[in-house]
Amino acid sequence: MTPLEVSGLQTFYGKSHILHDVGLTVKEGEIVVLLGRNGAGKTTTLRSIMGLTPPREGNVRLFGTDATRMSPYRVAGLGVGYVPEGRKIFANLSVEDNLRVPAVRPGPWNTTRVFETFPRLAERRDNRGRQLSGGEQEMLSIARALLLNPKLLLLDEPSQGLAPLIVKEVFQIIKTMRQEGISILLVEQNVRVSLAVADRAYVLDDGAIIYSGSAAELAGDEERVRSMAGASAKEWVTSDI
Amino acid sequence: MIQVILFNVTNGLIIGAFYVLMALGLSLILNLSNVINFSHGNFLALGGYLAFTLSPTLGYWGALLVAPLITALIGLAVERLMIRRVYNRDPVYSLLLTFGFAFVMQDAARFIWGPNGLPLGLPEFLSQPINPTLFFITWYRVFMVAVVIVAVLGLFAFLRYTRIGIRIRAGTLDLETVASLGVNISLLRTFNFALGCLLAGLSGVLAAGQIGLNPNMGDDLLMPSFIAIIVGGVGSLIGTLFGGLLIGVAAALTTVFFPAGSEAVIYAIMMIVLLVRPRGLMGEEGMMA
Ligand SMILES: Nc1ncnc2c1ncn2[C@@H]1O[C@H](COP(=O)(O)OP(=O)(O)OP(=O)(O)O)[C@@H](O)[C@H]1O
Ligand SMILES: [Mg+2]
Repeated sequence: MTPLEVSGLQTFYGKSHILHDVGLTVKEGEIVVLLGRNGAGKTTTLRSIMGLTPPREGNVRLFGTDATRMSPYRVAGLGVGYVPEGRKIFANLSVEDNLRVPAVRPGPWNTTRVFETFPRLAERRDNRGRQLSGGEQEMLSIARALLLNPKLLLLDEPSQGLAPLIVKEVFQIIKTMRQEGISILLVEQNVRVSLAVADRAYVLDDGAIIYSGSAAELAGDEERVRSMAGASAKEWVTSDI
Repeated sequence: MIQVILFNVTNGLIIGAFYVLMALGLSLILNLSNVINFSHGNFLALGGYLAFTLSPTLGYWGALLVAPLITALIGLAVERLMIRRVYNRDPVYSLLLTFGFAFVMQDAARFIWGPNGLPLGLPEFLSQPINPTLFFITWYRVFMVAVVIVAVLGLFAFLRYTRIGIRIRAGTLDLETVASLGVNISLLRTFNFALGCLLAGLSGVLAAGQIGLNPNMGDDLLMPSFIAIIVGGVGSLIGTLFGGLLIGVAAALTTVFFPAGSEAVIYAIMMIVLLVRPRGLMGEEGMMA
């Protein structure tokens, strides 16, 4: 069953038309990266899939089920973990309480396993969300999504604002998740690094898909990569992952 | 003089305890659903009247337990049938809706139980003073304060330790993210509304034992409860707790020294807070901080 099939999305914020006929697919066990400049519509695409900003037209299929305009909690219930842009951890809650928010779905992930996988979160379990560093917040946001035992993970710029060493760690986790059998749709501005871990890539520009194909092929197109990477110089630092 | 002050401080604490119960329920609903529930005072009256109707069969203690639960169930139905329909609109809609519903509830109470005051019978020993020198403190007053303390501790423990409570606190901050983690926020809000009504119902039963029943018995408590929230800081339940006690005691002490100002004082406190510290006494801290 294909984890994610999106076709013909037209999404609006009020009157402004943001997504124009966006389509993309994530196959089982794949890491797919969605690239694009600031304001291209990457977050809006993920929000359309999650049902947070329901598309006006188009289709979202999750594991063969029509999930178009489903409410977010039901989308999550189908096995979709969402790691939102800016992490969105609950700043007033302790780490442990943050981890008790997600709905309980059966699967290999539970709090014990999360604390084994993210030992730093275990050390800080009684700290409030707002007391964590950016990297710890990102780990918490990922851990929180994993507790849903998702089969598909949507990650929105998980490396944003993190130190190179932490970025490396985040990408390592993403690779491990794939080995666990979780399919991944990754939104990134870290072009080179994400192309290195991804199987396939899509590029959004002004709300429309302008590239769809293998990640390796796109990575080989030096000129294209450089034009996309223009916005973020930081990504050169970690290009050796 | 000491005794007069003591009397009024006790009074203030008791009135403050009612503000606290009312205001905590209002706060829960406001924090999670952005609804200012103008019918909250009528849920209080409903709790009292239900206890009146139930106590002949269930006895006082049975009514004390069951009446708030029925109030909560009615609150649940009201949320499902009406209130949740306006969540996605401007807060003015829910304000007007609950404002209108307040009058409907009040007339319904008048129709069912009559326009005149009714007494709620208490177990005999609760009406006794605790000792002759402190003649003004009946066991009932001690009992009310004890029940309020148990209810408040129970509420805070619930919010702190249970998954639903944790989700309510998380939703206060970011409901959308709670939903994207697989939580049915529509049900969460329904439950939360019912929880608020449970507290109102409980205050109604307690208040009925002290001041008796009448269809608009909740009205006098509603505005001070809003003020308790504002003074304590919107979003902070601990703030609401202190806000309620503070204005209760302040009003009572003003009664001793400047009776004419006893009502104005709580509004004055609110004005000062709004001008000097607009986020309220504990507004910056997260809930339960
Ligand atoms: N809530 C909103 N209301 C109105 N317009 C919005 C809203 N959120 C985003 N937009 C607009 O929609 C467009 C796409 O935004 P989106 O957040 O999807 O881009 P993005 O590719 O994720 O960008 P970034 O890399 O900065 O995160 C932008 O022009 C943005 O200004
Ligand atoms: Mg974005």
